[in-house]
Amino acid sequence: MLKQLTPFVLTAPLLLATAAFAQTKPVLTVYTYDAFAADWGPAPGIEAAFEESCDCDLQFIAADSSIGALRKIQLEGSQTKADILLGLDTNIAEAARATDLFVEHGADTTNLTLPTGDWSDSTFLPFDYSYFAFVYNKEKVSNPPQSFEALIAMPEDFKIVIQDPRSSTPGLGLLLWIQEAYGDRAGEIWQGLAPKIVTVTKGWSDAYGLFLKDEADMVLSYTTSPAYHLIAEEDTRFASAAFSEGHYLQIEVAGILKSSTQQELAKNFMQFMLSDAVQDIIPTTNWVYPATTTEAGLPDGFDTLHVPEKTLLIEGTDVEAKRQQWIDQWIDILGQ
Amino acid sequence: MHNRLSSHLSSHLPGLVPGAFTAIALLCLAALLFYQLTALPEFSSLSLGPRFVKTLGWSTLQATLSTLLSLLLGCAVAWALSHQPVFPGRRLLIALLSSAMVLPTLVVVLGLVTVLGRNGWLNQLSEQLFSVRPDTWLYGLGGILIAHCYFNASFSARTLLTRFESIPAEQRKLSQALGLTAWQRFKLMEWPAIATAIPGLATTIFLLCFTSFAIVLILGGSPKFNTLEVSIYEAIKLDFNLGRALGLALAQLAICATLVALNTTIKSFDRSISARSRSLNNFRDTPGNQLLQIIIILLAGCAFLLPLMAIVYDGWSADLAGIIKDPQFIQASLTSITIALISTLAVLLLSMALTVCHTSLSVSHRIGNFALARWAARFISFSATLYLAVPALVLGFGFFLIARQYGGANNYWAATALVTANVLMVLPFALVTLLPASAKAANKYDKLAFSLGVSGYSRWRLIESALLRNELIYVASIAFCMSLGDLGIIALFGSQDFITLPWLLYQKMGAYRTTEAAGIALFMLILTLVVFLLFPKLVKRNYAVN
Repeated sequence: MLKQLTPFVLTAPLLLATAAFAQTKPVLTVYTYDAFAADWGPAPGIEAAFEESCDCDLQFIAADSSIGALRKIQLEGSQTKADILLGLDTNIAEAARATDLFVEHGADTTNLTLPTGDWSDSTFLPFDYSYFAFVYNKEKVSNPPQSFEALIAMPEDFKIVIQDPRSSTPGLGLLLWIQEAYGDRAGEIWQGLAPKIVTVTKGWSDAYGLFLKDEADMVLSYTTSPAYHLIAEEDTRFASAAFSEGHYLQIEVAGILKSSTQQELAKNFMQFMLSDAVQDIIPTTNWVYPATTTEAGLPDGFDTLHVPEKTLLIEGTDVEAKRQQWIDQWIDILGQ
Repeated sequence: MHNRLSSHLSSHLPGLVPGAFTAIALLCLAALLFYQLTALPEFSSLSLGPRFVKTLGWSTLQATLSTLLSLLLGCAVAWALSHQPVFPGRRLLIALLSSAMVLPTLVVVLGLVTVLGRNGWLNQLSEQLFSVRPDTWLYGLGGILIAHCYFNASFSARTLLTRFESIPAEQRKLSQALGLTAWQRFKLMEWPAIATAIPGLATTIFLLCFTSFAIVLILGGSPKFNTLEVSIYEAIKLDFNLGRALGLALAQLAICATLVALNTTIKSFDRSISARSRSLNNFRDTPGNQLLQIIIILLAGCAFLLPLMAIVYDGWSADLAGIIKDPQFIQASLTSITIALISTLAVLLLSMALTVCHTSLSVSHRIGNFALARWAARFISFSATLYLAVPALVLGFGFFLIARQYGGANNYWAATALVTANVLMVLPFALVTLLPASAKAANKYDKLAFSLGVSGYSRWRLIESALLRNELIYVASIAFCMSLGDLGIIALFGSQDFITLPWLLYQKMGAYRTTEAAGIALFMLILTLVVFLLFPKLVKRNYAVN
């Protein structure tokens, strides 16, 4: 029955259209978010550096967001080509762990210099970090808000663009940021923010693109984002707004899929992510802080960035226990 | 007597087989999908999510408003156009309004954003003229309504224009002789002519807006205005909550099937979206009314053309050479065109099979007088309208579950799901186009064909292929265009190695690569308009010469 209904024969020309070519070298496939895999992102540099020594073909596959990449792997189930998932953060790592799709990363983590101190997770490996913040154009916004309450009190036509906490780690980060800073009052803050939100995007790059197109006055991004404009574009107009509540920390992580047939290669890649070769690429391509202190140090310009005095972070297991409830509440407030 | 009956039956039975088989296969497909949805392990964790009632409420409100606005605007435009039978560009405008049904949704949405976005043409103009930049209102209910009206007001304008123009000349003359005002004329003469088309038209528009996907996905702005269709997509792609996706899919299935069943006729589709129209004598309206009509036509023309012009303008300034060389674009184009061609072929074969079968069952001098024939004919039409009852995302979800269960290359499943959805989407339009023409051919030539002993393929070659030629060309062109532009199932199946043009465009738009998006949109717009407006003319001309 099924076979009769499935016009496999009709679809044969498609195979020619998307012809697969023969591979001799082993292929290591990394699923990640779009900005990481983009031409201007870290992926091309990492690929070139890793392929120099691995005798393999490293392929980055971009999803529209980091959590999107995780969902893609879950959707593909046993069919997935992914060996590594790269770009989740500590907030969603517990949800990923619960899928039971990942194995231990096996990397030596002694050289990590994260703000949170030693790293104990043997499944997910951190490779960079930054702090969530709203980025604005100094020429267009002369008096940026200094807190969520000040943001709510901004004039009616002051607009922000944020990401969806269900698909994007910055979106989830903002949810947790407000939750950690305001606790029971979080719902109230969201109610105040709702009329300021132009749109909720699936991923970070969508939101940032919208902001650069002047469709919003501020965008949820990172304290380190202005470095991109400063270093890559020699444009000093962009800054991140310092919030008195403190800023939420994001540590990005990578994990190896249990289903991967390239376990050894994947483990080599994980260790490689912490090498100076990669860690020096990160600041000027992903525009965040590297997870280790490299010999070359941070590039010029990073010293001009705002470093939050107060850091907020909720324990991953606590996030996972409440995540669905908080998201449902968020949808409910925005959907009123 | 008995002999005559059996020979009568036997001469028509072979023609019934392909159509009956098709109809049964379509219903089996629906049953299989339904079985697939209910046989899942997730069926035990079935849920509707906390927002189900709100989603239902907002979708109903949104779809109701969209339907009312579309009908009102469509009626105004049709009224103005029918009263202004001669002006330069009229035929082109009507042809373009007809094409609204096949224009790729995303292309229009991109055009609307370019014109009406926060930094769009309109706001830039207002900033230059009055130094005021109005607030953005495109994301949310406003944007959804505008986009829905763009498609459905054009669709209803085109449908209603046919009704307006079908009013007999005698009635018009009489109304002039009686000196009726424009309002009286509308109430007494024109309203009765269009009123019968309204219920079917309204149900169709309501269903399309109630299950709207691409427009709500992009212009919704927040989960507030989600339709069930978008909620299913989010449950699968964002939350990976298959139990919830399943619950929502079954709810959507129940609601749409009920609405379709309540609205048993789909005749409102008639041949309204064809590009042809008749011109009529002047109405001799008062100057005031004439002015109103001209204003309506100008406004409607601008509203319709501006987003398309924005695409042409932005697309033209994009790096077209670079886009055409982009391997992703080439791959997407090849995939899209291949799928559209396969879908077109499948639509032609299946709709012809169904048409032949339906004609034999309903034409009285064939077997239309037999007791069960009428029910069988209804069964055939019902099988062709499945799409309205089984929305694309539900269909896609079913295929997706089959793919997970049976394994196999993802691309095969994606292509199969896409072709199936396209075929189901076009079949209702194909049948309403082919059925009247086929019945006409049967009534006109059956006796002659029978007396000459022409039957089977030679009859088809001599009679149907010539008489249904224009209809088949038309069906082929809408099948190709609608298949090319659809963003539905691909949103579930799209991946780096399986992309179609609408999916590529969606991704470029999502990443706000607007110039690249405009370049791709321009390509899709040109391809659609050429296939829909020019291809039928080219083929017809060749035919006339031959």
